[in-house]
Amino acid sequence: MPYKKVIFFVAPLMVLALLLPLSAPAQESANCLACHSSMKGRIKAVSGNLIELNIDSEKFQASVHSSLACTDCHIKFSDNPHTSPNAPVPQEVLAISAKISKKYPIDPVAAAACVQCHDEIYKKVLESVHGKNITQKHQTDGALCLDCHGSPHYIVPIGNPAALMGRKHQVETCGKCHGNKALNEKYKMEENVMDSFEESFHGRKLALGHTKVPVCASCHGAHDVKSMDDPTSPVFGNNRLQTCGKCHKGANEKFIPAITHKLPGPIPYYTEKALIFLVLGVFTFIISHVLLEAFSDIRDAIFRKGGHE
Amino acid sequence: MSQSSTTTAREIPKEIERFNVTFRIQHIIMFTTFLLLSFTGWGLKYAYAPGGVSSWWIRVWGGPETAGIIHRVAGVTMLLDFVWHVIYLFYLFGTKRMTINLKTTVIPLPKDVFDVIKNYLYFFGLSKEKARFAKYSYAQKFDYWAVFWGMFIIGFSGFSLAFPMLVSHIIPQFATSWIWQLLSIMHSDEALLAIVFILFWHFYNEHLKPENFPMSWLWITGKISTDTLKHHHPIEYEMLFPDANKNKD
Repeated sequence: MPYKKVIFFVAPLMVLALLLPLSAPAQESANCLACHSSMKGRIKAVSGNLIELNIDSEKFQASVHSSLACTDCHIKFSDNPHTSPNAPVPQEVLAISAKISKKYPIDPVAAAACVQCHDEIYKKVLESVHGKNITQKHQTDGALCLDCHGSPHYIVPIGNPAALMGRKHQVETCGKCHGNKALNEKYKMEENVMDSFEESFHGRKLALGHTKVPVCASCHGAHDVKSMDDPTSPVFGNNRLQTCGKCHKGANEKFIPAITHKLPGPIPYYTEKALIFLVLGVFTFIISHVLLEAFSDIRDAIFRKGGHE
Repeated sequence: MSQSSTTTAREIPKEIERFNVTFRIQHIIMFTTFLLLSFTGWGLKYAYAPGGVSSWWIRVWGGPETAGIIHRVAGVTMLLDFVWHVIYLFYLFGTKRMTINLKTTVIPLPKDVFDVIKNYLYFFGLSKEKARFAKYSYAQKFDYWAVFWGMFIIGFSGFSLAFPMLVSHIIPQFATSWIWQLLSIMHSDEALLAIVFILFWHFYNEHLKPENFPMSWLWITGKISTDTLKHHHPIEYEMLFPDANKNKD
């Protein structure tokens, strides 16, 4: 066949190939998933860390990342995965992976790879109180992408009720650390955050299915979350005028202390005790009176017919 | 009746008016808003009730947003009803349509304490006589003043929680760190007290008691039969019909 005629067949096919950019990575994922979707359990790496082997193929296909190829994030595994994971890694990813390698000893590159798409957000996180705890204080506790959003293989859109950072699950997701006594003590964080939120009108309405009440990030910020002692935090001092004002029009200095995670002070505490005392006292009187009166009426009806006035 | 009959025993009517139409309307507004407030508030107070039952209950009331609006509207209506009642009382006293008489007043008196003791002794079989009441028994006085207590504690705290920006202007600076928590505790705890109080005290005394079951129709007619009056409020009966009593005994 003459060379010139071949081009007429090949050129349209090449154009078609450009129209289907998703098919290639999907094909590549299928190669990995062929084994990893049926493998169960974990193996111990040389370093002693446990590696989860299983990928739930169906959940992965339903996730927002289903169109990505495995090697888009597991960059080092591009060629022959299990013997020499040494494919070249972009400089930007490598720089982050070096900072977070203590938190993710198995594949820090994969944990850093989020930056390739979520560039701005990832940089915010690294500058946040969560990120700095890892990059500057060299701890493993600070939250990065996976701690809040769960496994990147199964991330669903934020509006999905199953989303870990969606309205339904956000509070319990943050509570994994902020409701953890050891962590609260280690970092001298406010201990009562979970209980006080649950008790608050915000928490109660959330439990009842209110669609506008705030959850954690609504007030504290999300990826760029700051320490409560940081003057740029949205919940620091009078910054709350603006933060509370997002929902409560006209929020003023006397209103903003209304929501706090601190334990109740002595005045509400002892007032509540006094009120409970009053409530129990009244209950004792009315319930005993009602019951005794009913019994005496029955007694009169049976034993003292016509005896009453 | 003719003039000549005034010297002899006055004719005793079958029934007399106990509550005029203003009081009756005030009562109807009071219990309607009370029920609405209780139903919607209960779901919020016990938001974490097992099985998501509160979430279901609040959906019955149109969801959290709508239930919140119902609660606020009912609350404001109840407060206005209370204000109307107080103004009306001032009007009645100001125009001498109502005067303070120990036998007709709803103001608690030492006699009420003795009446309670007397009745408890009767319940236990230690006394053969029940307390004799004037126009308002201690149970009724308790019922009445409980609403006043509720209006000040629950009403004020509820108003503050519903309109915090408005109320914040009268809150002193030193109180801001604890007042909001205090207000929500007051509102929630005293609301529970009010609901249980109505459920036991008012419902038993005015609905479940064999003599009243299923209810005393007074709330709608405003009338009490003189028989009932004689039986339950003998002191008032004797005051109203002093001669009748003599004739009968």
